Amino acid sequence: MAAADSPSAALRHRDLCSRGIRLAGKMRLDVINLLDTYVERQGLDASASVAAVEGVPVAAVERWDEQTGTQRLLENLVAYRAFRALLAQMLEEQREQLGEADTTLGRALAAVLLQVSAFTYHLEELLRLESRGPPGEEGAEPPPPPPVSLFERKLRGLRVLRELAQWALRSTRDLRQLAKASPGSGSVPSPPNSP
Amino acid sequence: GHPQNLKCVTHNLHKMICTWDASSRGRHGQTDFCYTTNDLPPPVCFKTKEKRVEIPVPERSTTVTITTNSISGTTFATKDFEIHEKDISFVPLTPRILSLTPDFSTSTLNVKWSDNGSVFPYGLDAFWQIQILRGEAMEKVMYYSKLTHEDIILSWNWTSDMPLECTSHYVKIRCYINVTQFVGPKDWSDWSPVEEIPGKDTDPNGNGVFPQDTVVAVGSDVTICCVHEEGQQIQRMTYGPDIHPMIYLSSRSSAIRVLNASASDTSGTNVVCILSEDEMEGTVLFVGYAPDIPQNLSCETSNFLTIKCTWKPGRPSGLYGNRKTNYSLFERISGKNVSCKVDEMNRERVCGFPVLGDQNIYDFVLGVSNPIGQTKSSLLVDLTKRVHPKSPEKLTVSGNSSTSVRLHWFINGSFTEVRLLCQIEISSGRYERKLHNVTVPGGNFSTYTAQLNALHPYTKYWFSVRCSAADHFWRWSDWSRVEEHTTLEA
Repeated sequence: MAAADSPSAALRHRDLCSRGIRLAGKMRLDVINLLDTYVERQGLDASASVAAVEGVPVAAVERWDEQTGTQRLLENLVAYRAFRALLAQMLEEQREQLGEADTTLGRALAAVLLQVSAFTYHLEELLRLESRGPPGEEGAEPPPPPPVSLFERKLRGLRVLRELAQWALRSTRDLRQLAKASPGSGSVPSPPNSP
Repeated sequence: GHPQNLKCVTHNLHKMICTWDASSRGRHGQTDFCYTTNDLPPPVCFKTKEKRVEIPVPERSTTVTITTNSISGTTFATKDFEIHEKDISFVPLTPRILSLTPDFSTSTLNVKWSDNGSVFPYGLDAFWQIQILRGEAMEKVMYYSKLTHEDIILSWNWTSDMPLECTSHYVKIRCYINVTQFVGPKDWSDWSPVEEIPGKDTDPNGNGVFPQDTVVAVGSDVTICCVHEEGQQIQRMTYGPDIHPMIYLSSRSSAIRVLNASASDTSGTNVVCILSEDEMEGTVLFVGYAPDIPQNLSCETSNFLTIKCTWKPGRPSGLYGNRKTNYSLFERISGKNVSCKVDEMNRERVCGFPVLGDQNIYDFVLGVSNPIGQTKSSLLVDLTKRVHPKSPEKLTVSGNSSTSVRLHWFINGSFTEVRLLCQIEISSGRYERKLHNVTVPGGNFSTYTAQLNALHPYTKYWFSVRCSAADHFWRWSDWSRVEEHTTLEA
């Protein structure tokens, strides 16, 4: 494996960052489309404000600009691992509740889950390049959400997709920051604006 | 201190309780109480401190003598009372509710009580009044039973028009026994003690919208309530996109009433209780249809291993996922039952049932159920008359002369129970097409063969074959793949 700061590692780092930015951008578009479909198919009010839900990673972060590159990657990785589990749960519930009756929503959910899984793998690649390696997943799997009513499930799904759309935006910015620094440098100065 | 206002009441037609009062209040000593049994001396006498005694109900009449005394025992006054049967009132004992059991899933209360029939002669008519209260008095229902000189536990169900969680429900009962041969006045018993089923609006952690995630039939009238914190105000309650007027139930519970509910979308109709800008509770209501009677139920076998039944589901239920309509195939003769795995989106439903040993007659009942209702369809089938083979495979043509060929083909299945009629299509050139029928004994996963004669020498032919049951035609198989062959030169 190339040393962290060799030219090929820097090239690989920049390539991973730019591909990650494209992935996050595409994911955000798909999540926003999925959100529209979800709201319509679940009969929800698009303007409804939904309180924070335990287990759903919140994209908003304080002092975003003071974060190191590694911190950004680790926080992104933890979040997308959680979203991967949450989306898988939503897909399973979707099949259980609707069976074959709404394959459109099911397919859209599955497509976004695929992208989240790919993006998660991408983040792990970046962390490997940081010669840190991604944290193991043992025990990282969020506990299955407590049984709730169908309406609360619908709201939780809404909250998951809204936060995921915000995270895709934040990831794009995080990766842009990372692209400016060489791999393994850890700390990244960044301009004083936050997502 | 004259004894007066003597009243006698019986609860069981055997004993009666007599009470009286004294004309002046003053301090009295013990009272001497005497009564005759059926006016025959000597009277039965005893002392009592109470102005209340229990004595037998006389067959016709009895004479009661009450003597009041001072503390020191000197007689104040004596009074005789003539009591006839018509003077005695009959009031049944106050009934007691043995159990009040809620079934929240169906919003039903089950009330159980004893009819105390053992104290009464056989065969009396008893009328029970059951009162349901919710906040204010709500519903009074009459229930009839016949006493059998035994204590029978009576049971009665009442279905509320709203979920039992919405607010507390109370029940009390009383009874009236029609003792035709009793000439005295008859009256209702007292009401029983009230039994309560507390609503969620009495539970500190009871907030929520009820019923939770339930299924109702299209056209139902549904009451949905929102239980919230004390002092909290509901901004509005919506059913799907519509805001509905609210009905006050208690300080922690309000409801909306949806009339003639229409079918919901696949993900159900959301009922939302908006309490503040970002606080809401909700539930999902699934409004659908009971399953339709399956139409065009038909069963056949293609291989005498599996029976394939198909049917048209009729009107869609509008319910999906774990609320969807389930199908099961029950065969009466063997008693075997198979649950069918059905693709909800496929217009035609299919279910497989194993061919059972040498059983040819099958008496099928297709059972259909979903959370709203159930139905069924029946079909009696003789399998030998419902043979629909798969299309023949591995068709080969061999020719050892210029005017004849021999065909071989394989059919997947065990047809030993039947003879097969196979039809061979012989084409040569664009317009010449002939059909040749041949009957062969059914085999077990066999290859079948047929000879064709009178062909033209050195001519290209196209052959295809299909088969069906020979004795009881049901359906042709599909045609086999076409096989090309040129006859030998003459």
